[in-house]
This record gives sequence, C-alpha cells and structure tokens, in this order.
Amino acid sequence: MFFTVSVAAEDVTITVAGGAVGQELEMTERAAEMYMEENPGVIIEVLDTPDLAQDRLGLYLQFFEAESSEVDVYQIDVIWPGDLAEHFVDLYDYGAEDIVDMHFQEIVDNNTVDGELIAIPWFTDAGLLYYRTDLLEKYDLDVPETWTELEETAQIIQDGEREEGNEDFVGFVWQGDAYEGLTTNALEWFASSNAGTIISDDGYITVNNERAVEVLEMAAGWVGTISPTGVTGMAEEDARAIFQGGNAAFMRNWPYAYALGQDPEESAIAGNFDVTTLPAAEDGEPAHTLGGWNLAVSQYSENPEIAADVAMYLAGFESQKMRAIEATMNPTIEELYEDEEVLEAVPFFGELYDVFVNAVARPSTVSAPNYNQVSEYYFQAVHSVLTGQDDALTALEFLELDLQDLTGFEIGEPQN
Amino acid sequence: MANNSNDLAHQEARLAYKLLAPAAIILLLVALYPLGQVFYTSMTDRVFASGQEPNFVGFDNYRQLLSMRIVELPPQVDDDGNIIRDDDGNIVYERPIQVLPREPRRFRDVWQINLFGTRYLIAASNPAFISAITNTLIFTIISVFLETILGLMIALVVNSNFKGRGAMRAIMLVPWAVITVVSARMWEWMLASSRVGIFNTLLRRFDLIDESIAFLQTSTWQLPSMIAVDVWKTTPFMALLILAGLQLIPNELYEASRVDGASKIRQFFSITLPLIKPSLAVALIFRTLDALRVFDIFQVLLAQSRYSMASYNYFQLINNRAMGMSSAIGVVIFIIIFVFALMYIKALGVDAE
Repeated sequence: MFFTVSVAAEDVTITVAGGAVGQELEMTERAAEMYMEENPGVIIEVLDTPDLAQDRLGLYLQFFEAESSEVDVYQIDVIWPGDLAEHFVDLYDYGAEDIVDMHFQEIVDNNTVDGELIAIPWFTDAGLLYYRTDLLEKYDLDVPETWTELEETAQIIQDGEREEGNEDFVGFVWQGDAYEGLTTNALEWFASSNAGTIISDDGYITVNNERAVEVLEMAAGWVGTISPTGVTGMAEEDARAIFQGGNAAFMRNWPYAYALGQDPEESAIAGNFDVTTLPAAEDGEPAHTLGGWNLAVSQYSENPEIAADVAMYLAGFESQKMRAIEATMNPTIEELYEDEEVLEAVPFFGELYDVFVNAVARPSTVSAPNYNQVSEYYFQAVHSVLTGQDDALTALEFLELDLQDLTGFEIGEPQN
Repeated sequence: MANNSNDLAHQEARLAYKLLAPAAIILLLVALYPLGQVFYTSMTDRVFASGQEPNFVGFDNYRQLLSMRIVELPPQVDDDGNIIRDDDGNIVYERPIQVLPREPRRFRDVWQINLFGTRYLIAASNPAFISAITNTLIFTIISVFLETILGLMIALVVNSNFKGRGAMRAIMLVPWAVITVVSARMWEWMLASSRVGIFNTLLRRFDLIDESIAFLQTSTWQLPSMIAVDVWKTTPFMALLILAGLQLIPNELYEASRVDGASKIRQFFSITLPLIKPSLAVALIFRTLDALRVFDIFQVLLAQSRYSMASYNYFQLINNRAMGMSSAIGVVIFIIIFVFALMYIKALGVDAE
C-alpha cells in the first residue's frame, strides 16, 4: 500500500523528441504546458533535435540501438514509419481508434504498418512557392506558372534590385544542399515536368529519361544565375533567412515559413509576400512533395500508456489548431481546414487545400526498407549536377545502375 | 648453485607474468575485444538499430569498398575507322559508362589520366569512399605540414624573452580550447557564400572579386577551407608541444655557440632543430593520426557534399544503417592509420629514443 502511494506521488516524466525548425519547439512546449496543466503528476520534457531530417534520424537510431527509455515520444518523418516500425508501439492498443478517423486517411494509411498504427499524424507539409507581391507589382510582372517564367521573372527582378544597389539580392532560393531536402525539391521539378517520381508506385525505376536530363540541366542553370552559388549548401532555414531578410524574390519552402515571414518583428517583408502553387513545365502539372511529421511512442518507454496519451494530445484538435494559427503548420485534421479562426489566420490553407491533399509522395513505401539509400543516391546525383561535377546524363545513368543494384527493380518509363 | 639461480629466475618470471596479467586482461577487454567485434561485424550485412538477423558475407563489404580497375578509354571512331576530333582538334572519347565493367559490381570513374597518348580510367566500385580517402590524405598532409611550420614559428617566438610572454602563451591556446563543433559553426558563418560572411565582405570591399565565392559549396574551395579551419584550430596545439621541447634545451649551448661565432641560423639548424626532434616527432604523430580521423569539421561544414573517411563512415552507419559496411570502413581506416604510425616510427626513429 505504502509502495503504491509513493509511486503515485512520484511525477512521471515523459520526454518528447521534437523538431526546432521555425517555431516548432515553441509550439511543442506550449502544447506540453497545456497538457501538464490538465494532468498534474506528468512532466513533459521537450528534447530539441537537429534540423536536418537525416541528422535527426541518426540521433533516434542511437537511442533505438541502445533500446533506451530516455525518449518516450518521437517526432518522425512521413518517410520513416515503414523503416522504424519495430521500435514503436501500436497506438491502437492505447485507444487511438477514437481519434484516428478525424485525420487524413492517406497519412493514417502511410503510418499503418501490418495493421498497426505506428504514429499519429501531427502536421502535414507540401512544398510551396513564396513570392514577393510588392516586387512583382514594382516590375509589373505576373506570378510565374512555368519554370521558364520563373527564370525570366526572377532574372528581371534580380537585375533590377541589384542595379538599385542591393548587391546581395537573388531571384530564387530553395534547398540545394546534399540532403533529404534536395530530394523533395528535385522531386517537384521531376514530377511537374513529366519526368517521373524516381521509382514508380508499381516498382519500376524511371529516373533516367530525357525529360529528367532537361530538368536537371535547367536547375543546374539556376545556380549562379537566379540562385546564388551558395544554394547548393542551403537547407530550409538558410533559404528562409534570405527571403525573410528581403533579399530574394522567390523561395521554395514548406508552409511553416509563412507565419514567421508575416511577423513584422522577425521579418523585413511582412505583408509583402504570398504563397502559391509551384511552377510546372509547359506541358506539366504543378507538383508538391508531401512532407510532414508524426508522433510515435517508443517500444522501450517505461510509461507507454502516458506517453501515448501525451502523443495523442499533442496531435489532438486543440494543439493542432494552435499550431495552425500561430505557426502555419498544416493540420492533419480535416475539420480544421474549415475552421473560421484557422482560415482567417492562414487564408492559403483554404485556397491551397487541393495542394495539401494531392501532394506527391516520395517513393518511400515502394522502396522500403531502402528508402534512405535511394534518396541518398538521388540527392547525390542531383547535387553533383548542380555543382557541375557531372553532366546530367552521366549522373542519371549511374543513378539508374545504383538503384537497380540496390532495389533489384526493373527499368521503366515514367507514367504521365 | 646454478639450479638455484635458475629457480629464482623462473620465480621472478612467474611473478612478472602474474603482475602483468591484470593489465593484459584489461587491454584484451578494452582494446582487442571491440576491435575483434568490429572486424567480425564487418564480415556481415548487419543493419544498425534493427532486430533483423545478420548474414555472414565474408569479404564482400571490403570488395565493395576497395575494388578498383584501370580501363583504357578508347576514342570514338566514325564509320571509316577514323578518330573523331572536336572543333579544337581534341580527341573525342567514348563515354566512360560504356566501357566500365558492370559485373560483378558497377564501376565508376574516379580519375582520368593520359599516359603515352592513351587515356585511362581509374574506376572504383565505391567512388565515394575512394574520394573520401583521397580527401582525407590531402587534408592530412597539407594541414599537418602547415601546422608544423607555423607551430614551430610561434613556439620560437613565445619561447624568446619578452614582456607579457605568459599572457601571450595563454592567448595563443584559445583556438585550440574552443570546442570544434562550435568553432566549425563560427567558420561556417565567416565562410558564408554571401556578404554575411566576413571573407566575402572583405574580398569585395577591396575589389578582389566580382562575385561572392561559395567557399563551402564549390568543390575547389571545400578542401582549402577545411585545411584553413584546421590550421587555425590546431596550430596552437602543435606550438605547445614544440614549446615543451624548446624549453628543455639548455641555454649554455646557445652561449657556447655564440662564443664560437655561430650565426642565429646556424644555431637553429645545429642546436634547436636536432634537440627538439623527439618532441617534434611526437607532435607530428599526434597530429597526423588525429587528422586522419578528422570528423567534426567535415560533418558540420560539408556534411554529405564531401566526405572524410570518418564522416563517410558515420553516414553509412547512421543514414544507410549499414552497420556491416561501416564496420568494414572502420577496419580500413584503422589499417591506414596503423600504416602511417609505422612509417613515422621507422622514419623518425622514435623507438630508438
């Protein structure tokens, strides 16, 4: 009796490993405080993890290899559930049935491995084109709809602004460092130009085709012209710093950059930019890579029940609504896209709803458990073309051989 | 009598073994066991952080890592058998992918060389690792060379008598005392590809360049940048070790040579250099072995855009979860470092001291 009392009196600490890109950390900490107010006896500690997805994965894997109970709840990328399923509990065992229906079915499916719900959807992402409304007006230009138009528009604005004395002004910033972010960017160029999605859904390697060569040559042409040479070392936050500082006309980034850009204390361009769909080839449709993060509960947690409750609370209606309004992080709860307060704060959630539900997935399901290696081959090939070390054709031919050796899949034509 | 002393010798030997045993056991446990474990794992296809049962694959990982081929690259010929030349009269060669072997694994060209009018391809089945090795070797040789020269100069300066010598010696150590990851971040900022970075700001202020240089993104500037950061960081360490050697040299030697009329330069080459050789040798070995294992500055500043041996190993283990493969890389790094250590010991005669 005495024993149980003393255990009950002891606070339970739940550690949540979360991201710190933009306002992520602050949002997680606030939701955690809300939970702690409602549930005295539980202390939530938020562990701040690296910005680059693969660095974060590296950290997680070290916890898993040691079967460590140090972290209870992990924030995991949409591309990981297949790979990491063995380290997480089935959330259906902890009452997830009641809440799962309100989330987007596609993401729930993505997070379901062998009938087990590995992670609860937290926020979804899709690449967007950020553009400066004031500059388009100043130079009397339209929002570009094709990549060629983007090149021309960016060049005109860049030349004009540099002439006026801002030597650091650039046309277009995006994520070009050799990392997962380049895979998401390049996939958008490919898919919007009918060059396929690296590996097709039915398991054919489609990466080496004429359109892909053109696309890569086009992107390599941006480096040092409309984009700075440093773009091949940029991740999300580097691009955001330049755009938000008022030194770029266009930016490819995820929705989180919107709220920060509209904050006059943080940003030099508050009120002077907007977001829209990404450009496409003349004969293509815009494509936006599906991103997003989910919360999973560690198999090695000492308090899986409480941890699951925390995860479901953090990914619940209240918390997602707060994140949507204050940090423009896309909810995974359908209802929130019709919520008036959310739409007032972030009008583009309504306007670009189709973009978010039809985003292009990376080939992580079809290539599991080798997706990380597939992605590394892909971004290294693309990076070598961007930096001029390889020509596009050679890079793609070798990439095709590497993917063949890795996956054993046949070569196919991209499906348009 | 003879018997007695023999017994005594035996007893002493036995006692010596007994006394050595704890140290030997600890050495076995902490050094040989992990090394053996890594070697064993390198023969498997074990996946990092997974319950999957590993398979024994023999030397496959090593073959994948180290296989190299030299292949002749034939020129392109037209239908009549004439060699095709471009507008400048240069021979147009076949594309490497068409002549490189695909079996038992695919090969990719790392370098092309011209020898006696024929072009050869040096191809590897894992060009990324081969480049990681060359990157590391270039980095090591140049950075250790510069650190030794600069470290020697600094040590000679702070060894001479001047006011504020103590403070100078303390200040000198600051770069070395900063945690590498922190200093790497500082350098990342200074080397930024726009005028955010101090180097680009200065170069443009003095009109030395028209366009900003992307130091960390352009392949020609990546290694020089890494070397610069490392030289800045570890020269103080080198200087410190050399300084320790300098202080052991008795002043009388210089006095005597001055009486004999030796010049400062003569003094340096006949007294200073030979007498600091042992500490210089130790410093060189330390720095070389350290530089061969370089990880932090490559990981922070270049991540996956250019590898050192250790950072390549890290990404194989962490991103690709290829624990078997990364163990094999670890063994290769171990062997390379071991070879360097042996060469130093032989060349500098350290064991004879």
